[in-house]
Amino acid sequence: MAEMTHIERVMAALTNAPADRLTTYPIACGVNRKLVNGGITYREWCHDPKLFAQAFIEGQKAFDYDFAIGLMDLSVMAGDLGAGVRMDEQNTPFVDRHIVNSPEDYEKFEVPDIKKGRSAVLLEGTKLYADKLKTEVITAGFLEGPLLALSQSAGAERMFMDMFTNPSAVHKALETMTAYDVEMVKGFGKTGVAGLCWDYLWANYSCLGDDQYEEFEGCKKYAVGLNELTTKEGMAVAIHSCADLPHLDTQIFKFKPAIYSMAYYPLIPGSPSATEVIEKGYADNCLIGGQIDPQLFIRGSVEKITQVTKDLCQEVKTALCKKGLQGKYCIASGCEVPPDVHTKMENIKAVVDTTKQYGKIDW
Amino acid sequence: MKVSQIAGFLGSGKTTAVMKIVDELMKRGRRMAIVVNDVGEINVDAKFIESHGLKAKEIAGGCICCQIAGTFSETLAKLHDAYDPEIVIVEPSGVAIPWGLKRAAEYSEAKADMVIEHAPVITLVDATRIDLLVKAVKRLVETQIREADVCFVNKVDTASAADIAKTEQLIKEINPKAEISHMSSESGHGIKYACDLIEKKISPRYDEAVEEELLKKQYKG
Repeated sequence: MAEMTHIERVMAALTNAPADRLTTYPIACGVNRKLVNGGITYREWCHDPKLFAQAFIEGQKAFDYDFAIGLMDLSVMAGDLGAGVRMDEQNTPFVDRHIVNSPEDYEKFEVPDIKKGRSAVLLEGTKLYADKLKTEVITAGFLEGPLLALSQSAGAERMFMDMFTNPSAVHKALETMTAYDVEMVKGFGKTGVAGLCWDYLWANYSCLGDDQYEEFEGCKKYAVGLNELTTKEGMAVAIHSCADLPHLDTQIFKFKPAIYSMAYYPLIPGSPSATEVIEKGYADNCLIGGQIDPQLFIRGSVEKITQVTKDLCQEVKTALCKKGLQGKYCIASGCEVPPDVHTKMENIKAVVDTTKQYGKIDW
Repeated sequence: MKVSQIAGFLGSGKTTAVMKIVDELMKRGRRMAIVVNDVGEINVDAKFIESHGLKAKEIAGGCICCQIAGTFSETLAKLHDAYDPEIVIVEPSGVAIPWGLKRAAEYSEAKADMVIEHAPVITLVDATRIDLLVKAVKRLVETQIREADVCFVNKVDTASAADIAKTEQLIKEINPKAEISHMSSESGHGIKYACDLIEKKISPRYDEAVEEELLKKQYKG
C-alpha cells in the first residue's frame, strides 16, 4: 500500500480501514522543550504558551509523529485552584502544598478564571500548536479528570479516606472540579484540536473497585457527562491511563473513547499486555496506544529500544491479524516520555523509525 | 547508599516512626538523610529538608513510570552528592507503590557514582483503625502490605488484643511471606528492632532480570 499521510493513517486506524502501517506516538511532551531555542527549562516551557506550542512543533519536525497531544503536567488545575506547586527548573512541576486540611475545605473550592494562570497557558498553547499542526497530524489537548484534579489539590491519601468517611464533602468538591473541567472542555473546543485526552488516573484496581470508581468518577455526573460534552464540543474523546491495573471495561467499553493509551507492568500480576488487550476485544472499537516502558527512553540504548519496538510491532500485528483487525494499535510509550534532561532524544526517533519499518500492515 | 522505605497509610504513625528511627540510627553513628511525603507533618529539621528540596511528591498508581521516577531519582542523586548518607529513609505517600520506588531509586545510579541497596520494605499498619482501613481504603492498604518485607503492627500500646490479632491475620492473608512485628511509634517500642533491620538486612533489588525473562517469554525469545 502506498504511504499514507499521518491524518489518513490515523483515520484508517480509528475506523479499522486498511492502512499502510501502525500509527506511532511516543508521548513526547515536556521533553520536546529540549528542541526549543537550544533547550529551555521546564519552568519556561510550562509558563509561556508560545514556547509550549513551539516544543510540539519542533518535536513534529524532528520525529515525524502521527499525533500531537499536549500534556503539560498534572498540577495545572490544582495550582490554579490554589495548591502550592513546586516548580523546579528542569523537573516536572508537582503539588507540594495541598489545600484540604479539614472536611469543610472541600466545600471551599471555586472554579478559577481559566483566562488566567497555567490553565490559560495550556489553552492558548494548545491553540497555537493546533493551528500549526492540525493539517499535518491529529492534534489533541490534555486534561485532568475531576478525581485526579481533586487528589492533586487535597492529597490522595486524605481524599481516599474522606471518600469513605465524608463522601458528601468529596462529592461537593468533585462537582466543583467537574465545573472547572466543563470550562476547560469548552476552552479546548475553541482551540481547533481534533480530540481531547482525559487523564482518569484513579480508575485503577490498585486503588479503587468498580463501585467506588463509578460513584466518584465513572458516572454521568462526572466522567460520562464530561465525555459527552467533549464530543458535543467537536472533539474526539481520548483517555490516557498509566495505571498498573486499569478499569478497562469502564474506560473502554463504557466510556467508548476513540483512543485509549495505557501502560504495561510485566511484574504486576494482572497488568494487561498488548496481546491480552487486543484478544479481549478492547481494540475492536478503540485505537489502543502503548506500551513501551517510558524509562527505556532514559536508560535504554538505541539498540535496546529498537528491539523492544520491533517486538511490540510484531506482537500487536499478530494479535490484530488474529482478531481480524487492521491498524488498531498505536506504538507509543506507556506513559509520558520522561521529560528529564537525561532522556535520549535518539530513542524517540528510534521508536518512530522502527514503527515505520516494522509496523507495516501486511495481512 | 541504602534506601529504606517506611510505608503506611495516612495516620498509621509512620512520620513519628520515621523521626524516631532517624534519631536512633544517628545515635548509632549513621550518616542519615530522609525523603518525606509531607514536610508539614515533620517538626524536626523541616527547614533543612525544605531548603534542600528533599521532598518526594505523592506517587500514584502508574505515575512512577515516567515523571516521578525522574524526580525521585534526581533527589537521591543530589543527596548522595551533597551529603553522602549511608542510609536514606523514605517516607512515601500511602498511595505509593514500593516496587516503583525501588526501581526509581535504582535509576539514581545513572545520575551519581553509587550503588543502591534496599533495606527491607517496612509497612506500618495501624491496629487501632484496622476496621476503618479495611472498609475505607482496602485496596491501597493491601498493596502496601503485599509488597512489604516486614509489617509492623503499630500502636500496640493502645490497640485491643482483638484488633492486634485481626491486624496480624489480615497481614498473613495478604502476604504470608512478610515478617510480622509490633511497634508503638509513640512509646518507642519496636524502634530499635526496626533500626536493626534497616542496618543489617537487605531487600532484593527491583528485578529487571525477571522482567526481561517475562518479556522474552512473551516474545518467544
